[in-house]
Amino acid sequence: MIDIRKLKELVRLMKENDLSELDLRDNDETVTLKRGVNQQAVPGPPVPAPAPEAPPPEPKPKEATTSSEDGFVAIESPMVGTFYAAPNPDAEPFVGSGSNVAPDTVICLIEAMKVFNEIKAETTGLIEKILVNNGETVEFGQKLFLIKPS
Amino acid sequence: MFRRILIANRGEIALRIIRACREMGIETVCVYSTADADAPYLRLADRTICIGPPSAGESYLDVSRIISAAEISDVDAIHPGYGFLAENADFATICRDCKIEFIGPSPESMRLLGDKVQAKKTARSARVPIFPGSDNAIEDEDEAVTVAARIGYPVIIKAALGGGGRGMRVCHNEATLRGNLSKARQEAQAAFGSDAIFIEKFLESARHIEVQVLGDKHGHAVHLFERDCSMQRRHQKVIEEAPAPGVDRKKIETICTAAARLIRAAEYSGAATVEFLMDDRQNFYMLEVNTRVQVEHPVTEMVTGVDIVQQSIRIAAGEPISFRQREVEPGGHAMECRINAEDPQREFMPCPGRIESWRPPGGPGVRIDSHVEPGYVVPPNYDSMIGKLIVHAPDRAACLARMSRALHEFEVGPIKTTIPLHRSLMDNSVFRDGGIDIHFLERLLK
Repeated sequence: MIDIRKLKELVRLMKENDLSELDLRDNDETVTLKRGVNQQAVPGPPVPAPAPEAPPPEPKPKEATTSSEDGFVAIESPMVGTFYAAPNPDAEPFVGSGSNVAPDTVICLIEAMKVFNEIKAETTGLIEKILVNNGETVEFGQKLFLIKPS
Repeated sequence: MFRRILIANRGEIALRIIRACREMGIETVCVYSTADADAPYLRLADRTICIGPPSAGESYLDVSRIISAAEISDVDAIHPGYGFLAENADFATICRDCKIEFIGPSPESMRLLGDKVQAKKTARSARVPIFPGSDNAIEDEDEAVTVAARIGYPVIIKAALGGGGRGMRVCHNEATLRGNLSKARQEAQAAFGSDAIFIEKFLESARHIEVQVLGDKHGHAVHLFERDCSMQRRHQKVIEEAPAPGVDRKKIETICTAAARLIRAAEYSGAATVEFLMDDRQNFYMLEVNTRVQVEHPVTEMVTGVDIVQQSIRIAAGEPISFRQREVEPGGHAMECRINAEDPQREFMPCPGRIESWRPPGGPGVRIDSHVEPGYVVPPNYDSMIGKLIVHAPDRAACLARMSRALHEFEVGPIKTTIPLHRSLMDNSVFRDGGIDIHFLERLLK
């Protein structure tokens, strides 16, 4: 069973030392970590803005929507409010880079008018990157997480 | 004065409010739906917040999204504009509970004047002329018939919480009245959430003349004189002008003073419009009160020099109205043409889509209130008004000439607009004579 705390420590080390890839093996398990989005040598095409004539399907209340970007899928905020990465200030964040998520996995809270709304992943995959900071205000449609869908 | 205001609206009125705030040194936060993501006026706001998808119910009408945006942007006040949540007393209450100033009346005075039965009662005690009719909501069929017999047919059944011409039924005799009562109740319940209905005398032909009023939080109210909005189609105003042509100025003064009295009696603060119908003997009867800034406010601004949107903000911030009634001196004549993205040749079918060429007029006495720029895509999700052309000149004849000139210069394409209709109306001899009634345009279009 992969230790999340160990993974987080590895991710932190990667960030600190600006490593883009880390491959760890021992007898029991293999861990491969990659960080950074724009790793291609050739810059990809710009992400087109959504066409106004064909508005995106309207999400159900409090359900995040997704958009594609270079093979990763972005989870977008379904509401306006303040983003919280953890269930409370003393707890660990719901997810981090490298976390596996299922559709029902709570990935963050968005608080509005003193009500904390649980935001679910709505998809299966691996969290690639968290795009907003804890306590940051977010608007409708703002990209919150990058996920590599499985 | 407020530091920062959230604008809970879109299109030309959002731009209008942004402009007023900038002149007053107030920061602006403008909300938008994804359908308005490319709206040109957003670049003029200090901050913008996307609040939802295109549907108005999940964006501009969604109280929780608006309040959330107000909270995260730390605003002192919200300006609701017109339409959407501007006359929603629940929204005004929530703003107050969240300690955010609602730029408009208190929920109590909004409810009082928004309920037509209550508004009539307040009007009667403030000596504002009202239609003969039932004093309260009608309880049963027999009461309705008794009232109608007293005031004389034709009568009109109206919803107490209705407005804008919706949910009304005209009855020319007792049989029709009896036949329509329960349907009218059902419609009122479905459309406005209350089946309270009342009965008034119905005027077959009338002119729509309304009075602009400002009330402050210190008990003062001033009127800014009248506007004639008789050019209408399906209860939507098409052209508005001030002053009302050919009406005895003493009678105008009387209803203007009465309108100010009503606003004071209702303890109303903010901008309001008291609407009247005038019969062919120049008798006035109050129709309803609009508890918001109106689309056609620029007509009054041109004639009086008062910035109504700035006044509404100052009033909400607790300032007394900065001028006295006697200092309001209307001058010249002003007219407004509402420019809609509709095809007058095809039953006014809405024409959303991309505007490639946009060449608005200019020159002396010409004002354009519009959020449109070349390349703008008119979204299909909201009303079709894309701008207002307002013209001011020393008298009505010069105003007509100026409006004709301005409309001649105005080119919009490739989408269809109502500009051709306005051009032909400026040439219409009956309109040019002044004093058309509220059915004139519909008769002309047949």
